[in-house]
Amino acid sequence: MSGAAGEPRIDHDLVWVIEDSAEDAEAIQRALSRTHPHLTLEFTDRGTGVVERLTETARRPGLVLLDLSMPGLSGSAVLRAIRSRPELDEVAVVVFTSSTEPTEVDATYAAGADSYIYKPVNFDLFRTVLKGAVDYWQRKAEDGDDGQPPS
Amino acid sequence: MEQHEGNASRPADDGWWSGRLHELWSVADRTQDVTGLADLLYDMLLRMPGVLAVVGTRWSGGLLHYLRGVTRSEPTPSYVELEREYGEPTAPGARHGAHAGGTDSGPDGDPAVTVHEMPELDGDLPHVRFLAAAGVRGVAACTVPLGQGGRASFMVGTADVSAIDGTLRTRLKQVAEVTVVSDRRIMARRQNEMRQVSDAFLAEASLQMDSSLDVEKTVRRVARTAVPAVAEGCVLHLRRPHGLTPVAFAHMDAGEQQWLGEVADGDPWLTDVLERVVDGGQGAVLKGEELVGGPFGPASSGAGRAVRALSVNPLMARGRTLGTLTFLYHRVDMAEDASRFLADLAARAALAVDTSTLYEQRRRHVVSLQRHLLPRELPRVPGLTLSSAYEVGDVSLDVGGDFYDAVPTARGGVTLLIGDVCGRGAEAAALTGLARHTLRTLIEDGSTPEQALGRLNQALVREGTSRFVTALLAVLVPGGAGFHLRYWSAGHPAPLLRRADGTVEELTAHGDLLGVLDTIEYGSDAVRVAPGDALVLFTDGVTEARAADGTFFESGLRTAVARQGAGGPDGFAGRLARAVVRFRAAGADDIAVLVAQAEVAA
Repeated sequence: MSGAAGEPRIDHDLVWVIEDSAEDAEAIQRALSRTHPHLTLEFTDRGTGVVERLTETARRPGLVLLDLSMPGLSGSAVLRAIRSRPELDEVAVVVFTSSTEPTEVDATYAAGADSYIYKPVNFDLFRTVLKGAVDYWQRKAEDGDDGQPPS
Repeated sequence: MEQHEGNASRPADDGWWSGRLHELWSVADRTQDVTGLADLLYDMLLRMPGVLAVVGTRWSGGLLHYLRGVTRSEPTPSYVELEREYGEPTAPGARHGAHAGGTDSGPDGDPAVTVHEMPELDGDLPHVRFLAAAGVRGVAACTVPLGQGGRASFMVGTADVSAIDGTLRTRLKQVAEVTVVSDRRIMARRQNEMRQVSDAFLAEASLQMDSSLDVEKTVRRVARTAVPAVAEGCVLHLRRPHGLTPVAFAHMDAGEQQWLGEVADGDPWLTDVLERVVDGGQGAVLKGEELVGGPFGPASSGAGRAVRALSVNPLMARGRTLGTLTFLYHRVDMAEDASRFLADLAARAALAVDTSTLYEQRRRHVVSLQRHLLPRELPRVPGLTLSSAYEVGDVSLDVGGDFYDAVPTARGGVTLLIGDVCGRGAEAAALTGLARHTLRTLIEDGSTPEQALGRLNQALVREGTSRFVTALLAVLVPGGAGFHLRYWSAGHPAPLLRRADGTVEELTAHGDLLGVLDTIEYGSDAVRVAPGDALVLFTDGVTEARAADGTFFESGLRTAVARQGAGGPDGFAGRLARAVVRFRAAGADDIAVLVAQAEVAA
């Protein structure tokens, strides 16, 4: 998982949340502080500059939660930009949206999202969904690339 | 093996221990899962004098789920997922207790602590190996019952069995007890949360399912909503004539989507499981050994290794099994306790699939009915170019009432007919069929247009319908250069005649509606159609089409006919109909256009 000396370090306990809605950002904060108190969350309310900062930062998040519908640089544009940088391959991008429209899901997967998560209205459900997504990618990171449990 | 129960304590660190124990209880009270508790618990035991390693295991029957352990040299807890079968605990004997064991209870039901020398323990067990690797020679073990028939076993290893005193045994028992209570709380809290989440999920999934009447879209939405709310993966199969067919699958991980699709589509083991569920009509949860031989579980190869449990529920609606709803869980506990919820979800999904299927069936019926109400193709009439167009008014499922036809007659002529039954729906469709076929058959059999319209009127009056019908018959007979045209109208909009030079004339004709009075009068007239002239018949959907500003297409109809006719005889009707569709703001009514243009001799 770790790169060569001098390369930025991936921190799987660091999550970047790119979400323009203050309410949704607050809900994410509230949900994850209960289910994953050890995580460090960093919030950004716009897509502009995200890729540049991801590339430059010395401490890269293991996971990016990305809202698909944002004004300005859209979530899909951010996603495509992240996936166009091979050095960010190890950053898992979980796309959040309130749509389950199959064509949107297909397009998002085609653009390189690691997960496509439907954003439910109910908070308890929202927390469960978020927990499911974070647990999955954390486990995957722990297990290593081959998906085998460590021995 | 010997049983030890001692009350010796070390006054020197009693204060430290009771402080930590208090902390452990308060963590146990608010913790969401056992991880937070475990970190503290292992740390406490590891700090006891003489302790080299602490290891805990979690069991269901003979299935070892995972181990957690700390050693002096590696005090950060390591977690190893195992999900391996080691057989049911043996009867009390040399290795009892050391092998996950049944729970060891004292006379009063308290968990008991047993003490062992390392050679007594089964060296094949991973937690025993873990202790051996840390140089452990003496072991204190305590196994406690957890929810859902599970057990937790804790072992504290020391350099020598003599280092295990009463204090260590008492303290091991104390932390084991905290685990039992904490587990009970976690289970109760989780069940409560699960109920709330299940209710919320069912509500949201229902909303998603109702947002589309397309079966495939509906099931894809179900699958998408369920991941990861319910499980890491979801597959929905529907019964098709050639067997169970996957119609939707969703995986938490984009990278696993394709694998899941392939497994869903014909993996023999999975197909067998699904068919058994369909035949039995009951949901099933498979885990542990039950997954062996299939594409899932630690023993499998490929992406399915991470799957720990599988649930399959039949999709049943109105007494029929439509398919199956399958979930893939990466954690066993997710699949447990959810049977009721899964059955509810499957029932709701089945209902949505059933509704969508019925809707699709109905739409297909409408389309096929509509096709039967219109001629499959127009006849070829020497000297004339016929064209027709039909535009459905709106997306509602009702069949419209417009009809037209062209019936070749003797002497190289043709009778054109066009009409409109007021209203939409099944009754309108039935009357439309009746009107078109009555007129066509009578004309074919040699009736005159007056006779044909009269017979249709009688038939409609006899039906006692509240609907009326408008119709117009136009007979074109070749004569000289061009055609003689005579037409009869029963309340139908007046046709237009576009002359070859582009001027447009209205062929006025009044006449009574059909289906209202016993005897009716028709408006009739005759006119000559010269080469290049075009007779334009249409229904009131054309004249009454309205633009957003409220103007009717009728006001610009002649101009439109003049312009569209300039494009030549082929496709004239289609061009005019499209002009109407472009013009109108909302398509309420169907549009039928039938054009006959006399050819210009070459």
